[in-house]
Amino acid sequence: MPIHEKSLIRPENLTTHDELTLDGVDVSGHWSTFIETRVVNDYNENLQDEIAALPGGEHIHRCWQCGSCTNACTVYAINEDFNPRYWIYLIRMGYESELLRDKDIIWQCVSCNKCTYACPRDVFPEGVMKATAHWLEKKGHTEKSPSMHFDEVFTEQIVKTGKIEESRTIRRFFSRTGQALAQPWMIEMVKRMLRGLPIGMLTRMGLATLVAPKTNDWWQASAAIQDYIDEQHEKQVQALSLAELVETAKQDVAA
Amino acid sequence: MTTKDKYKKVAYYPGCALEGSGHSYNRSTKAVGKALGLDLVEVKNWNCCGAMEVKNIDPKIQTYLSSRVMSTAANEMDMDVVMAPCNGCYHNLKKAEYDLANDKESADVVDRLSKKAGHKTYESGQVETIHALDWIRESIGEEGLAERVKNSLSGIKVANYYGCMYTRPRHIFPEKDQGPGSESTSKPHFMDDLLAAAGAENVDFPLKTACCGGAHTLSDSDTSTKLVLNILKAAKLSGADVIATECPTCHSGLEMHQIRAEKTLGEKVDIKILYFTQLLGMALGLKARKVGVHENISDSIRFLKEKGLG
Repeated sequence: MPIHEKSLIRPENLTTHDELTLDGVDVSGHWSTFIETRVVNDYNENLQDEIAALPGGEHIHRCWQCGSCTNACTVYAINEDFNPRYWIYLIRMGYESELLRDKDIIWQCVSCNKCTYACPRDVFPEGVMKATAHWLEKKGHTEKSPSMHFDEVFTEQIVKTGKIEESRTIRRFFSRTGQALAQPWMIEMVKRMLRGLPIGMLTRMGLATLVAPKTNDWWQASAAIQDYIDEQHEKQVQALSLAELVETAKQDVAA
Repeated sequence: MTTKDKYKKVAYYPGCALEGSGHSYNRSTKAVGKALGLDLVEVKNWNCCGAMEVKNIDPKIQTYLSSRVMSTAANEMDMDVVMAPCNGCYHNLKKAEYDLANDKESADVVDRLSKKAGHKTYESGQVETIHALDWIRESIGEEGLAERVKNSLSGIKVANYYGCMYTRPRHIFPEKDQGPGSESTSKPHFMDDLLAAAGAENVDFPLKTACCGGAHTLSDSDTSTKLVLNILKAAKLSGADVIATECPTCHSGLEMHQIRAEKTLGEKVDIKILYFTQLLGMALGLKARKVGVHENISDSIRFLKEKGLG
């Protein structure tokens, strides 16, 4: 199996001159294409530590860049810009600005764990993808992804009741992400679902929508989980220096 | 007590999806259990296993949620085996089991949360978590199943689709890849074995453990539709009439995106999608209705009639 390489030469870094003379030598034509000099001086030396401080990112330091993750990746197969090996490299090197070029697709990891299966170093790349997606949002580099909205709607319901009632979760997700629920394929699906369903089943589904299923005496567990979430949030705010980030932003606005 | 008896009475953990979109999986699993004389005792007052969504927010909360289910089965019901038909629940219970045994930090968080929540902390090793496939295989076996078949599935070509969560990541399934008789994580075969025992003809299906994009089925529908379309087409090209599933998320993902592919990409793939328990149930002589075929979105009633089932 091939190891997928990532070319660092991007079209916008290429300059082509139809006619060019250098030191008295005509270099038009084949020699007219140059790669512009690129100097990286905006390292974020804490980048790896910040990712490692978020759930799933703990083992990023183990990576030795074999590329098995990208090779096995489900999403890479349909989008070659989705390259976990490359992102892990950027994070370990502190190339924050380079990483940000792909900020809008990292959340698309489908958690199939093929990378984790293939990884010979137990980096758990799937976890690193999640940690990176969280990091991008927490640092304010991206809007909350649809996936994060879904995770939050889902988790809120579990913390509250202990169980999930799917139609409620789906409706909340659609409303929170500002999407219309009545998309043509969704309507077609509901139509096919209703065909052949007995009245009893419909009543049961209707009831579940009105009275959400829940785990009895859940309040203690609910409070315990909520405390833990708050505690972890505090830790992450510290690890990612988010308070300082907010302070700097305030000063910028004031100036 | 023989090994077989150990699995004849198990704690049953249906999970949230089996009370909603996967209701036909719930119905067919119970019906198959009844037809085979197996005893399912539902875990008392269970909660969600945490699914992928809570794991994404914080894996340790998911570990706690799954451990509470196992704690109830072990400490309040005195059961040794928990059977979860949903790949997600099965995966999460296995993952919690692994983390509790190998990661002290997770074990500490679970202990702290369990005490706050007012129940006994689950200790790793108290229960064995198994999938519905293990359950039928361990308690009845392929030969036992073959003896009980009333309507053979002969003439039905099946692509067995296992999905991601049943085999990956490997480390949470220490009993797999242990040589003959054990399940393989790269080429799983337990569903193939059971359906073959019921007479079905399994096709050589290369995407057994491919991903259906279930994680983003609604949040990144275009990706999911592409992934599902791949699976449907590969199954069709392998010569299958039916894709047999063992996970409510995969199952409804395949059904939803089969329709979405048709509506948004104009790609129609005519293939039936049934839970393996629905196929087994009908092989055991149960009516299609008994195993909830009418509750599936994908309509296979006429196809099953033609094949003399249900």
